[in-house]
Amino acid sequence: LLTTMPSYKLSYFPGRGLGEVSRQLFHLSDTPFEDHRVPMDEWPAYKDSTPFGQMPVLFVDGKPLPQSFAIARFLADQFGFAGKTPFEAAWVDALADQYKDYFAEIRPFLFVVFGFGEGDKEKLKKKVAEPAINKFFGILEKRAKDNGSNGHLVGNSLTWIDLQVSDHIGVLELYLPNAISAYPLVNEIRKKTTTDPKLKEWLDKRPVTPF
Amino acid sequence: MPTYKLSYFEGQGLGEVSRQLLHLSETPFEDDRISQEDWPKRKDSMPFAKLPVLFVDGKPLPQSLAIARYLANQFGFAGKTPFESAWVDALGDQFKDYFSEMVPYFMALGGDNEEEKSRLQLEVAEPAINKFFSILEKRAKDNGSNGHFVGDSLTWIDIHISDHMGVGEKYFPNAYAAFPTVLALREGTVSLPKLKEWIEKRPVTPY
Repeated sequence: LLTTMPSYKLSYFPGRGLGEVSRQLFHLSDTPFEDHRVPMDEWPAYKDSTPFGQMPVLFVDGKPLPQSFAIARFLADQFGFAGKTPFEAAWVDALADQYKDYFAEIRPFLFVVFGFGEGDKEKLKKKVAEPAINKFFGILEKRAKDNGSNGHLVGNSLTWIDLQVSDHIGVLELYLPNAISAYPLVNEIRKKTTTDPKLKEWLDKRPVTPF
Repeated sequence: MPTYKLSYFEGQGLGEVSRQLLHLSETPFEDDRISQEDWPKRKDSMPFAKLPVLFVDGKPLPQSLAIARYLANQFGFAGKTPFESAWVDALGDQFKDYFSEMVPYFMALGGDNEEEKSRLQLEVAEPAINKFFSILEKRAKDNGSNGHFVGDSLTWIDIHISDHMGVGEKYFPNAYAAFPTVLALREGTVSLPKLKEWIEKRPVTPY
């Protein structure tokens, strides 16, 4: 019996953002996929062909699946990066949703530093970024400790929330160099995650982007 | 069977989908409803200082959609294939995006400035509802107008959207009149005997 692997295409902007975690899952599992990057000026024309008018979209044998975390979870489940028990998988999901809440809070700051709009960077850093970071990374630091300070946010193996948080820290540090200096256990997780040999191979060769 | 306790506010909101999953599967649980007065005392015992939280044999799990998905997976309301489950998740996340857009309107509903409520209904609620429910209407049709958003059996996204619509209509009658397939899906969902039984006896709350 020959089982053929599905064909995968991931459509996203030319950046890391909410698409990178899924790219990383493909690379970590040595799964071939089309890394389809839609330039910003081509996005308006492409938009109506997506299910929700947003990206990323994952195409599995040509069938679309929208929403970044639905995609990440689907791939993580396929490739073994979703936690070892249902309760662990649920905690990965809970941290991912908390990440989304945090991202919504810090977005006004990131929007400006990414170059998408005008604003007072210093003021936004103090009033928006720092409180958001302290709240979320405080939760992560406690979580890392409660999880046994083992280099993972959940369980004892790499999950997609380790990947998402670690990648985001890398983006954050482009604009706030000491962003997580108060969160040493989270920094340990980031170091362990980003030095995984297969991941490092991808990180060393991926396109450099502003977000 | 594990012991379950679901802690949430005195309302439907983001906790009701999980209550309904527990009722539909006839799983005993403690329906821990926390009043506004008691919430400040209870807040620090919750992992992310928010509700709902599900306690499974005393171990907490936060975040409404993580809880709903976990229970749906346990009880068979998460779709029949991994791709179907992923589509349920995608609609759940799109609901969250829509819900964040609606927050200014929801906040006004909690106050008594009628002008603000009308203004926000026009400027915030109507566009957000049109955007999200158009997606849902198309999805329900593409799925075969079979009474479900995904696949051919009840999933937690059918439950969650149907419940939200009931709350929405209390404040914005006919909010979803332009979305007949979604309205039919809601009717089918809330008239399921086990769900109907719970809906008829649950506490009546402002949201």
